[in-house]
Amino acid sequence: MITTTSARPASAWLTRRTGLVVPVILVAVSVALLIGSATMVVPTTAAPPGPRVFPLIIAVGTLVVAVLLAIDLIRNPEPQYTRIQAGARGIDDGRTETVPALGAAGLDEIAIDGDESTPLRPRSNVRALLGALGTIVVFIAALQPLGWLISAAFAFWGVARALGSRRPVFDVFVGFGLSAAVQLAFSAGLGLHLPPGILEGVLSWIR
Amino acid sequence: MDSLTNLGEGFLTILTPENMLWVVVGALLGTAVGVLPGLGSAMAVALLLPVTFSLDPIGAFVMFAGILFGGLFGDSISGILMNTPGNSTAIAGSIEGHKMALSGRAAQALATSAIGAFIGGIIASVLVVFFAPTLASLATLFGPAEYFALALFAFIAISAVVSDSPLRGLAALAIGLAIAVVGVEPIAGATRFTGGVPELADGIDIVVVTVGLLALGEVFHVASKRGRVDDYAVIQTRGRPWLSKDEFRDALPAWLRGTTIGLPFGIIPVGGSEIPTFLSYGAERRLDARRKNPMFGKGAIRGVAGPEASGNATAGTAMGALLALGLPTSATAAILLAAFRQYGLQPGPLLFERAPELVWALLASFFVGMVVLLILNLPFAPLWAKLLKVPRHYLYAGITVFALLGVYATSAKILDLVIMTLVGLLAFAMRRYGLPLAPLIIGVILGPLAETEFRRALAVSEGDATVFVSSPITITLYTVLAAAIALVAVGRLRRRSRERRSESERVSA
Repeated sequence: MITTTSARPASAWLTRRTGLVVPVILVAVSVALLIGSATMVVPTTAAPPGPRVFPLIIAVGTLVVAVLLAIDLIRNPEPQYTRIQAGARGIDDGRTETVPALGAAGLDEIAIDGDESTPLRPRSNVRALLGALGTIVVFIAALQPLGWLISAAFAFWGVARALGSRRPVFDVFVGFGLSAAVQLAFSAGLGLHLPPGILEGVLSWIR
Repeated sequence: MDSLTNLGEGFLTILTPENMLWVVVGALLGTAVGVLPGLGSAMAVALLLPVTFSLDPIGAFVMFAGILFGGLFGDSISGILMNTPGNSTAIAGSIEGHKMALSGRAAQALATSAIGAFIGGIIASVLVVFFAPTLASLATLFGPAEYFALALFAFIAISAVVSDSPLRGLAALAIGLAIAVVGVEPIAGATRFTGGVPELADGIDIVVVTVGLLALGEVFHVASKRGRVDDYAVIQTRGRPWLSKDEFRDALPAWLRGTTIGLPFGIIPVGGSEIPTFLSYGAERRLDARRKNPMFGKGAIRGVAGPEASGNATAGTAMGALLALGLPTSATAAILLAAFRQYGLQPGPLLFERAPELVWALLASFFVGMVVLLILNLPFAPLWAKLLKVPRHYLYAGITVFALLGVYATSAKILDLVIMTLVGLLAFAMRRYGLPLAPLIIGVILGPLAETEFRRALAVSEGDATVFVSSPITITLYTVLAAAIALVAVGRLRRRSRERRSESERVSA
């Protein structure tokens, strides 16, 4: 299956060079180090070389690497093609739903399928990635107010779902089972502190 | 024979029913984490750190020994059966191991790997028992300049020499070093790069970084791969899980060679067992090519035996370097270092004098752990493989929950969870764009050591930079490093010109 869509030149140029995000991160790191060094309060007792020298060396080194890496990425872009699954072949464990047209991200591109010799650009399932990330963000926000039991059960449920589980109701029970087992083993058994959250009253008689 | 007496006392300490239980539990948990694709020994120790909090120090470290080596034994199981090595250190052994499995000899491959891991680990532990005290006294020869040279050696070796792309290796290293400088620095006490957040004053914990990088990074990686056909199927193991006399005779020299190659790498900080396992794989391959009917490519038992033995030999001597020099040479060692500090202990030359009971109990538990693991793994390796049949989304959802638990339970800080998530995203981006993760970990681990020793050396010499090259030890280290860089550079240039030539030939034809 070869589908050809015309690509706008500018977006195509960038599509093959998304790796430029790495030099961007490096520059951000370097700038943070430079600003931090400039605003640092150095104790007057500090013997030379003070606490600034080493971070400054790292900052300069990071900047140099970022520039070299950016040049390398611009000159050697990734292959133009990505693999698109032909039609509706279900994937992991044969249980996944049809991947809704992997091109859903809306990128214009040429897609090929089946030709082994063509170098391919790795393609990421952005939706699943964001699903997993979103779940973890919600967990972090909910941990203190709702407590471990509920938020950990949700974390399990959400990540399983993002990774392709198709049994949401069943997963709720698995998730609660796991988080309850952890609560019992670690909090009641080993004495670690896990936030009880809104279930404080219910959990207090277990411990 | 002081060492033997001390070791004997160590055995007496740990051969109580309670401590034996901790070894076995540690070995089981460690293997279970190690079996999971993408998670190795370092992750096993990091994720299970909170489990040990409520134990007394000896119980905790005895359990660590089980977890540590359990992770190493477990690594190769998924590599052999699924061709997805649990850890980068299991890659070399999995190449031939998976081929053995494909040709119906999965059980023998697992046995070869388990016995290899046992032999390498035991020999390394024996050496550590006899030489760690000597090493500790040698450590007095190491001043600030020498320690700095060691750290620099590790940085360059891991990022420029070992990585495929030196530029990407250095980029990863730079991020690691930047993470390492956050927090109150130990010499003058200046607060650095915290952005005014008081919780960051303690710095960013190595456990947070490792779990984010390896566990969450793996979860994000798996998520991004969802919807891709994957051809990793678990191969069924059938037949005898032990080796015939011929197979044993075939593998024995490879086990011993692998061990020999692996031992020195525990003390040289090049980031763990990756290099020795590949060196051993290469050596076995070249030796094999000279035989009458070469087995490599068809599932050579020696291709499994060598790397597995060398991997565990390195892990064993790395513990020696950690205990005697206080020098973490791998991610696993660095997390153990964090664990030591949690109990108010500082590994290094003085540890043997200050906490002899604990050190010798730990060393004794290496032996016990290894025996337990051999017993657990020889007959039951196929059972571990059943773990891989759990649907992938449940496995990784479970890993996520334990990663969140592990990080939150060590510090009870929400901020650590946030940092871990950011590091996980970073790890995903790094993997996507071909940046190696190991240099980042080494940067975080050795960054503080490098800076402290750098400043101490300059403070002692009153700013004279020649202090860094003024002792035989530092000169030797820098010479070896320069030679390694030259060797790699020449090799790369040659390969590139060869590729260019063959390409131009193809074009002209």
